[in-house]
Amino acid sequence: MRLRSSEMQPVAPAPWITPKPLKDCIVAIISTAGLHRRTDVPFKVGAVDYRLIPGDADFGDLVVSHIRTNFDRSAYQQDPNIWFPLDRLREMAADGEIGGVSSWHYSFMGAQPNHHALSKAGEEVGQLLAAGEVDVALIVPV
Amino acid sequence: MPFALGRPLGTAGDTEFQKNVLRASFEMLQSAVEPTIEDYPIEAPVESGSSDWSCPVSFAVAEDESISARILAEINLMAPWSAETRATRDRTLFGVTGAGPDQVEQVARALGEIADHGNVTDLPAGDISWQFEMPLLIRHMVDDLRTFYHEAVAAQPGDSSPSHEALNDWIFSSTALGDGIQAIAKHLTHVGDGESLMTRGFLVPEGYLASGGSSFPTPAERQENKKA
Repeated sequence: MRLRSSEMQPVAPAPWITPKPLKDCIVAIISTAGLHRRTDVPFKVGAVDYRLIPGDADFGDLVVSHIRTNFDRSAYQQDPNIWFPLDRLREMAADGEIGGVSSWHYSFMGAQPNHHALSKAGEEVGQLLAAGEVDVALIVPV
Repeated sequence: MPFALGRPLGTAGDTEFQKNVLRASFEMLQSAVEPTIEDYPIEAPVESGSSDWSCPVSFAVAEDESISARILAEINLMAPWSAETRATRDRTLFGVTGAGPDQVEQVARALGEIADHGNVTDLPAGDISWQFEMPLLIRHMVDDLRTFYHEAVAAQPGDSSPSHEALNDWIFSSTALGDGIQAIAKHLTHVGDGESLMTRGFLVPEGYLASGGSSFPTPAERQENKKA
């Protein structure tokens, strides 16, 4: 894994944009846990596409097709918020800490050493986030 | 974040700890003036789960039994515990293979037969609409069954909820499922093509392959495949 990471190309920083005050920000989750709805086509090895997860998703409707076996799934089984903190965001929105929770969230399968392979899907998701008036994308890797 | 792999928000079930992690991330958006990386300074509290956990249920092993029969016996023993956890949580993660939540036995039977007979190329028969091709399906069948085993463990008496390592130790040292995974890893090694060897890597966590070494293709195996 160390060898693979040494082969990764550095990602140049994008222009910095300071968002609105958090209490006015709409937040979306971007997960790399390979989460998706049961009815979705699962992720395959080397997947560079993504799945949509609706903001009103029930955790019981989600499954995981991430290919790697070396990270702990038992904590997610116990509490899905540990990967996908939807309830936490809802609570923070209700308390006025953030402005709201996006109607859509986005899920990728991580373990993808080729960043460029994700460019197309990444740009597409960026456009969807902008169209959905999302101010903050919370990227939660596993 | 100084948290274990698979626990990016630190601690399962600790809402305030999770929110504090989120708050720290969000606050960086307000204070930073350029792309910034900061270490989160607080370690996750030690969960009641520990690496010295042991499963209170032990499974009898009869030498003459097939792996399939042994896995089915385990499933039967654990079904009430798993049902308890599913009822408490009102959800299950089981089913990524395409199996319905109540088709645990069918998945177990299919995996056991692969372990016993070594057919890693044909989709198992039955009425499940499998969502993966072989041999990759095997990796997700194991995930579904591990989900079921984890559910069963979660309902058993005691405060202790096992760590990831403790669960792996238990699966691979004390269960027919672990024996089945190792048997399938051998079959995949025997087939030896690139896809089978990669599936072996996705099947057996690092450090648990019975024959030793990494479960991913070795340099010698890669070389052999290049020649082929």
